Amino acid sequence: MSDAVEVKTLIIDEQEVSARRGQTILEVARENDINIPTLCHLDGLGDVGACRLCLVEIKGSNKLLPACVATVYEGMEVSTNTERLRRYRRNILELLFAERNHTCAVCVSNGHCELQTMAQEQGLTHVRLPYRNPELAVDASHERFTLDHNRCILCTRCVRVCAEIEGAHIWDLMGRGEACTVISDLHEEWGKSACTRCGKCVQVCPTGALFDKSKVGSDQPKNPDFLPYLNLMREAR
Amino acid sequence: MSKLKLATVWLDGCSGCHMSFLDMDERLLELAELVDVVYSPIVDTKEFPDEVDIALVEGAVASVDDEKKIKKIRAHSKMLVAMGDCAITGNVPAMRNPIGPETILDRAYIENASAQAQIPCVVVPKLLKIVRPIHEFVKVDVYLPGCPPSADTFHTALTALVTGGPLDVSALTRFGA
Amino acid sequence: MSQTITIDPVTRLEGHGKITIYLDDKGQVENAQFHVTQVRGFERFAEGRPFYEMPSLMARICGICPVSHLIASAKACEAIMSVRIPHTAAQLRRMLNLAQMVQSHALSFFYLSSPDLLLGMESDPKTRHLFGVVAAKPELGRAGVSLRRFGQHIIELLGDKRIHPGWVIPGGVTEPLLAAKRDEILKMIPQAYADVKLALGWYKQIADSFKPEADVFANFPSLFLGLVNEDESVEFTDGALRLIDAEGAIVEDGITATRFAEAIGEAVEPYSYTKFAYYKPLGYPQGSYRVGPLARLNIAKTMGTPLADKELVEFKQLAKGPVQSSFYYHHARLVDILYGIEKIEEILTDPKILDTHVRAQAAVNRLEGAGQAEAPRGTLHHHYKVDDDGKIVWANLVIATGQNNNAMNKGILQAARHYVKNGKFTEGTLNRVEAVVRTFDPCLSCSTHAFGQMPLALTILNHDGEVVDQLIR
Repeated sequence: MSDAVEVKTLIIDEQEVSARRGQTILEVARENDINIPTLCHLDGLGDVGACRLCLVEIKGSNKLLPACVATVYEGMEVSTNTERLRRYRRNILELLFAERNHTCAVCVSNGHCELQTMAQEQGLTHVRLPYRNPELAVDASHERFTLDHNRCILCTRCVRVCAEIEGAHIWDLMGRGEACTVISDLHEEWGKSACTRCGKCVQVCPTGALFDKSKVGSDQPKNPDFLPYLNLMREAR
Repeated sequence: MSKLKLATVWLDGCSGCHMSFLDMDERLLELAELVDVVYSPIVDTKEFPDEVDIALVEGAVASVDDEKKIKKIRAHSKMLVAMGDCAITGNVPAMRNPIGPETILDRAYIENASAQAQIPCVVVPKLLKIVRPIHEFVKVDVYLPGCPPSADTFHTALTALVTGGPLDVSALTRFGA
Repeated sequence: MSQTITIDPVTRLEGHGKITIYLDDKGQVENAQFHVTQVRGFERFAEGRPFYEMPSLMARICGICPVSHLIASAKACEAIMSVRIPHTAAQLRRMLNLAQMVQSHALSFFYLSSPDLLLGMESDPKTRHLFGVVAAKPELGRAGVSLRRFGQHIIELLGDKRIHPGWVIPGGVTEPLLAAKRDEILKMIPQAYADVKLALGWYKQIADSFKPEADVFANFPSLFLGLVNEDESVEFTDGALRLIDAEGAIVEDGITATRFAEAIGEAVEPYSYTKFAYYKPLGYPQGSYRVGPLARLNIAKTMGTPLADKELVEFKQLAKGPVQSSFYYHHARLVDILYGIEKIEEILTDPKILDTHVRAQAAVNRLEGAGQAEAPRGTLHHHYKVDDDGKIVWANLVIATGQNNNAMNKGILQAARHYVKNGKFTEGTLNRVEAVVRTFDPCLSCSTHAFGQMPLALTILNHDGEVVDQLIR
């Protein structure tokens, strides 16, 4: 069978769906109103498969695939909501909560946080792992925004929006494993970096890690929905 | 039919969960028809009773006193409910964990006392090195997150627990609620 | 044989408290101590956090009076921002503060203390609680639940949440008041008046029967500290602090938040995590003073609202000069509640209360700021220092209950000496000692955060006792 066939048919959660060649499982699922939870994915940004919340089961394989980056093939059979996957999603969230210091009650994003909402949606009411309680800093050197590493889940949306959309690429990752952290420029203070002050990273950050200094408390909701439109506008030129 | 025995305890918390519990207002008085509050800061029982049906515990475990208390509560309670984020995640009291207890004691009682600087140590319990959720010490049966969980959450949850009905906690509340 | 009596825990109190009574060989009370057994360290772990997160963080000091911390903290932040908040925001906060005062006092009077007052200090502990009060005198118990709900529901309407509302922020509040909510609050006012009138009426009936208690419940001369307005009427949110002595003469006046640290210091005793505040010029413990409802009513010349003014005149007849017996905190609390309801009604009748400009915006403009307010239990003071980026580098809190600490300890000693003689005591007599603490309505979760500041001299000696180095900070 040649790859020139444009339309693929596959099964997701026992539902027959069709897709275009090159589409990811996540895209196809969403087109068919099948919800796969994600955190690092954001419409308008390139996908990296960092958070692993979108892992799905594929019939005939014992490997789980991240739906946001895995492309569909003809005859694929996908399960998105098995008992095992639901368990793994809670495990991932437990790892995220235990890794750094997430004090929801006093966070600027309380009530508007994708991590918090995800925990509630997945039925997570407590974390079974011992909290690491690392000592992490707050970078308040920028005149408009603040970065609190305690709340960062290393989703890299900030890295991607600054690189792919704004084009300044001041954010990136440094270190590996538990030492991995988001840095600005060559690990300099955000306020002193080449940041253009566009605010896109603040809008796309799913938690209270990046926030606007003038918004404290309940006026915190973020609006990343502009991204796909921004992309469309730029492509139209 | 004998009433169920309800106990409420606060460990290292702010009493907000207890206040939210009292925020059931008149519904609290109705609840008191179904349960006996056998141990609580608002009643005068000094010893935790031998047999409690439902124990609501607020606050994290932060001192040796807290640790002793939670173990005793677990041993004498059929059902243990962790109420509020402090009891479940450590929450605000756990913000001292990266720093350590000596630093906060030094700051409060040595550096910033204008007379008789010293670390209190008579009768007052020693602080644990880190503040931890109660399920790291004992088995917890039900978790009610929130800071604090709302009175409505308490009412729905307690009604379910007392009558044996189904309880979907995530539909009622979340961390930081 | 000398003996130690322990009351653990002290019940019908907010927070963790223990009492130890030390008896000598003859069974007479030698000493008594009130221990607060919890400390969390807010002033230290707040370091490194952006200053505008302080109100929300500090609210978690206490679940009964988070509003007090929200307001004092926000005021300290506003000093750092160098802003004056819009008038409507100040009035909204004033209303929130008073609503909290009503609910907190209702908790103290009805839920925590009325069991002693109605059923008797030595009544059966199995029924000596709120449910017992509701059973014995339903209209009293329900008035208490209703008054507490009045205060809590106003907080909920204004701030979206009864406990730890995120509505108060540095610069003002996040949302203006809607007309529909104002109307809902106004509809609740008549019932609130009825409830407090019932309570005052009942209290006045039974007050005389508690004269013996009043004589020994922390009844001694002391200084008093509280906020007043320039016209000497009581104040809960703005104004400045006045310190008076036991005869009512002004010791110091016009203590603003900026001057607080010069005037007030804190001592440590080894037996409590709560520190002991005192007026620095007089030293410790001579400079100890009391705060809260009793202090406020002793200091203020008027309440500023008609019904409460009448009650104040009656209250002041309890003594020539300041009322010294802490038993009358109970009476003062009810007058506070009446004032709160009247003042809330007054604030709501101003059409400007619906104004939508409720927030001032600014960044760091000063590296230090302090704010104070009257919490239900007394004066509360927050003091922060920040770096140029606005991160907290130092924080200092002086809490109401820490300011009553000395009086509470003296009070339980006085009561213990009176009620425990020759080594004899019962559950009821121990409850009486606890009841002394209850008159102060301490907030122990709050109180374990205070500290003052002083130059610290550190001398390092080698093992021969010779001075090797000296540091003065």
